[in-house]
Amino acid sequence: MIRYILRRLVLMVPVALLVTVGVFALARLSPVDPVLVFAGEERDPAMLDAIRHQLGLDQPLPVQYVAWLSHAAQGDLGRSFQNKQRVTEAIFERLPATIELGLAALLISITFALVIGILSAVKRNSAVDLLSTSITLMGVSFPSFFLGVVLILLFAYVIPGRIFPPGGYVPITQDVGENLRRLVLPAVTLATASLALNLRQVRSSLLEVFGHDYMRTARAKGLREGAVIVRHALKNALIPVVTLVGIQIGAIIEGAVITETIFSWPGVGRLAVQAIPSHDYPVVQGVVLVSALSFMLSTLFVDVLYGWLDPRISYESAAA
Amino acid sequence: MTRLLAILTTLALVLAACGSTPVSGTTGGAASGTPAAGKPIYGGTITFGLENDVSNLDPMLSGLFVDRNIHYAMYDSLVRVDVKGNIIPWLAQTWTTSTDGKMVTFNLRQGVKYHDGTAFDAASVKWNIERYINTKGSSRTGDLSAVASVDVVDANTVKFNLKSAFAPLLAALVDRAGMMVSQKVVDAMGADFTLKPFKAGTGPFILTEAVKNDHYTLERNPDWWGKDDKGNKLPFLDKIIVKPILDGDVRLTNLRTGQVQVINLLAGKDVPQTKSDPTLAYQEVGSFAWSSMIPNEAQGFIFNEKRYVKAVAMAIDRQEILDKGPTQGNLGLVGWGPIAPAHFAYDPNFKPFPKADPEGAKKLVADVGKGPLKFELLVSSGDAATLQLAQLIQAELAKADITADIKTQLFNDIVTLQQSHKHLGMTLIGWSGRLDPDGNSYDFVVTGKTNNDSSYSNAKVDDLMNQQRAEADPAKRKTLLQQAQQIFVVDDPARVWFQFGISPLVTAKQVTGMQVYADRIPRFDTAQLSK
Repeated sequence: MIRYILRRLVLMVPVALLVTVGVFALARLSPVDPVLVFAGEERDPAMLDAIRHQLGLDQPLPVQYVAWLSHAAQGDLGRSFQNKQRVTEAIFERLPATIELGLAALLISITFALVIGILSAVKRNSAVDLLSTSITLMGVSFPSFFLGVVLILLFAYVIPGRIFPPGGYVPITQDVGENLRRLVLPAVTLATASLALNLRQVRSSLLEVFGHDYMRTARAKGLREGAVIVRHALKNALIPVVTLVGIQIGAIIEGAVITETIFSWPGVGRLAVQAIPSHDYPVVQGVVLVSALSFMLSTLFVDVLYGWLDPRISYESAAA
Repeated sequence: MTRLLAILTTLALVLAACGSTPVSGTTGGAASGTPAAGKPIYGGTITFGLENDVSNLDPMLSGLFVDRNIHYAMYDSLVRVDVKGNIIPWLAQTWTTSTDGKMVTFNLRQGVKYHDGTAFDAASVKWNIERYINTKGSSRTGDLSAVASVDVVDANTVKFNLKSAFAPLLAALVDRAGMMVSQKVVDAMGADFTLKPFKAGTGPFILTEAVKNDHYTLERNPDWWGKDDKGNKLPFLDKIIVKPILDGDVRLTNLRTGQVQVINLLAGKDVPQTKSDPTLAYQEVGSFAWSSMIPNEAQGFIFNEKRYVKAVAMAIDRQEILDKGPTQGNLGLVGWGPIAPAHFAYDPNFKPFPKADPEGAKKLVADVGKGPLKFELLVSSGDAATLQLAQLIQAELAKADITADIKTQLFNDIVTLQQSHKHLGMTLIGWSGRLDPDGNSYDFVVTGKTNNDSSYSNAKVDDLMNQQRAEADPAKRKTLLQQAQQIFVVDDPARVWFQFGISPLVTAKQVTGMQVYADRIPRFDTAQLSK
């Protein structure tokens, strides 16, 4: 297993390199001059040239890339064009908020997906099943920028008491209650889309498992229906769900871009939203690289988890 | 079928919830920006919902409007403006200009200290101005281009030596080019100064916390020198929290639900509702901003023929653009040129194209004798409001048989094209405005200047604009500016100006003492919060 993990980690290096080339090239494909964005309405040509030189943008692209990569390899992702903040500092400053929001959304999504998904599969074609299918369709259909605003308006003007504020963030270290209160709406918004996917996956996997022989055997042994579903059906049905959830964990960083913007949530997604239109290359490159790495690591984690969930999967033979 | 019904019912419920958003009553909503009467109220925290995140807190490098909203609270400038736009003493208590206009001597306020405890004096002014002028990549070199050197006369007197007489200098010193920062903090913070210039200013509030994308905390400076007109020590508030909230609807919702107490940007559609909300105070004033269509008048391009530019200026209906465009009759004024109502040189009688004149425009185009006028109108992509505006203009021009082909492109692409004088027809880009009318016009109409994207060149205009720069008497400057405006708007048009902006300020009713300024930047030094 350790050999397998090490091999996967080594294989991540060329993938990460490809990502750096891709994002570096993509950011620069746009004909926009980032110096113009940086300078705002000030357009003195001498000043623009000085800024261009200062940011290193007057160097040939390969030189810029090698300079950035050599620093990145040492953990230095450069400084933001806009405010000179270190990109690593900017990302790590915002990671706790993003991870908190992402995990809360995932928790909501998985909990509801499991409960409703199981009910829906057990009571197939019933009202519960119909409701769950409706939720699935709604969740996929509602873009988060719409759902977020609807929730804000709902809790600001329709539901009395203003239980959940329309955005903003309070660190959990400062005030736990306030942090959670502000977390609810963005977490629900973010959870809705993945809830639909997870719910659908739980339902269809369970329905597939229900048809297998070992389920009949379990029932024939006289096990209670609850035990049959939880111990026999669910564990086997969870494998594809784990894949999905693992990918969602990896996508936490980039997944909350819109939600963070709507709810003024100071996470990494919002950092990217600010950096892209202002052509703040170091920030965009840094966020994409960290996001790609987190994605690769979560995929590896999911693969390792498979071995635990399904003893038939062995990585030793694969590694040999 | 049952499934479909369930979906429709759910959707209907959500939509009903959206639709039931209450519209505020029609009473109340009167502006309460005048300073509170009676005993002043000290203390309290105000949260200000800013339209975008701050990009740079160093006045030297800042290029965006949003930055200035924090700068004004934490830094003092040498001079400032009052609510009517008059330049008033600030860190400089008095100033004199030599008869040839090439030397300006400032007498500084005494006993002022930066938030870090270092003294503010003439040497500090010299260091700041030289930093703005000499640092590579400084965004203030243009503002201070007339300054040749700065001399320290004594600890409280500083002399600016100018390359030539330059009347707009004081206006430049109102804003970032005149903001004073502590050398000690700049040296200590290095590259981090741009985002975390803690204790760097002398202003009414001290920046104590800066969490980018989330919030900025400014705390009361107990040693600030300012007093209100009744002699009360300023500022009144304990704390200001600035929170960037990018979405306009969410920003307004935050204000209406009490999460924030001040905003200074809202959509035209939201103005009537905001004005009538009894929990809010709405104020507005004409700003320095203008909107224009920018032709490319360079050789080889359609609008090298100036009669075509004038035809477009005659054909559009400015009132209709204001009423039916993105402003929806709010947050804008019909405009004719770059000198706005908030400028000292504004002429309320200058209305060269009072009504749309499609027939006159047709005649002008016919006089050119090259058939119907057709041109490309470049509009920023992803900006629905500007596209709507372009379509409205397109429909108006069609009445004069002028065809505007709308093409969308990235904003910065358009700026790049414009700057290199390669746009084919016209573009639709505005200007946020400057305090002095020179900043709203000179660079746009004088031959070869940085913002002269229309490649405009008129010797008489160049001469008048240079004369006004050297003229110290405001009345004479006003005449010179108006003479130039008559030429570059009407006789030999450089652009098609069509609208002025309006600066709004919306506060919760508990907030008093705040007045709206033409530059749209909220001043918190006189703000009070009722308990």
